[in-house]
Amino acid sequence: MRKLLHAMILGLLGAGIVHIVVLFLVPEFSERDAWSRLAMASDLYKMTRLDAEAGGAPVVKSVDPLFYAAACRFDLTDGLVRIRAPGDVPFWSASVYDRNGHNIYSFNDHNANGEKLDAVVLTPAQMIDVRRDLPEDLQGAIFVEAPIEEGIFVVRAFVPDESWKPIVSRFLEQSACELQDY
Amino acid sequence: MLKNAILTLLSLAIAIGLGGYSVWYALNAQDGVGAIRIGQWTAFPEVGTLAADPYSKARVAREGVLALGQAEGLAFVAERDDAGEPLKRECTYTIEGGYPTARFWTLYAADQSLGVIDTGKPRQSALQSYDMLRRPDNSVVISVGSRPAPGNWLLTGGSGKMYFVLTFYDTPIASSTGLSDVTLPRILKAGCNA
Repeated sequence: MRKLLHAMILGLLGAGIVHIVVLFLVPEFSERDAWSRLAMASDLYKMTRLDAEAGGAPVVKSVDPLFYAAACRFDLTDGLVRIRAPGDVPFWSASVYDRNGHNIYSFNDHNANGEKLDAVVLTPAQMIDVRRDLPEDLQGAIFVEAPIEEGIFVVRAFVPDESWKPIVSRFLEQSACELQDY
Repeated sequence: MLKNAILTLLSLAIAIGLGGYSVWYALNAQDGVGAIRIGQWTAFPEVGTLAADPYSKARVAREGVLALGQAEGLAFVAERDDAGEPLKRECTYTIEGGYPTARFWTLYAADQSLGVIDTGKPRQSALQSYDMLRRPDNSVVISVGSRPAPGNWLLTGGSGKMYFVLTFYDTPIASSTGLSDVTLPRILKAGCNA
């Protein structure tokens, strides 16, 4: 009887350890995280619509029904990545996520120069290089210094009503996510 | 000898079974660590940031969420009305009161997975603040139900559990200091189609 009790207490202790280990391993081994889902939908440096409007099921869940969103994956070991979108929409916001889907940096149209989306994501080391000789056409861009390698850039745009749908769709479809030479 | 083997097996079974199940249970619970409750509304300002607790990190990885950043907005979820009853899609509700400072907000009725509910009609089950009729004191009254209502009407339909998701965009309350004296609208049950 004492042995049975001993075994059960040992089991409970083990359960605590397993709980903690599993909890910390979930983010490492998840194949359903945002990065993996996007990887299944498209390549690196390619803007992909996240909402269901573009056809098919939404790639990443929990998008506001009054919002359209697009995302691209990037790898900063290849170089800087520049994200641009033309046109005027009532509201847009953008976020940079790391490989595990943590929000590193976010901003919205009021933070941007002339409310135009023009952002460059780069590592602190690349920032030092770029600062030394800032190219003319990067002058107006928002620089996002992120200490990451792989990451996701998400643009969300507000669709106030039906009539804005084509305009907001065009805003996201014309947005570009490209490697930048400097 | 055999007894020892069985006891070892029992310990292992308890450890792995209970350990795994408890993680699964904790990740599926709607409530969680780091939640901020205002009335019936719950928000997780730290979800999806590096400062989040291990439970939200695991949830983010498992569900593929890309959480709103601080400069984007903050979402509140309600699953009960002010009387403490769970929200139901077959009931009608009145959401009334004032809203904290934000550039705009959106409100939608959601299902279990927090996606907007499918009413099968062209009208979406979502509203936003630019389209609101306001009372003289700037407060808003929204009728929620499957039948059209005068004033502000949020369409719902079907039956089963329902959630309200209220998201504020470009708002100072997303920074933690702003959350202390925020009041959010109340959710009152008006009736049910039993």
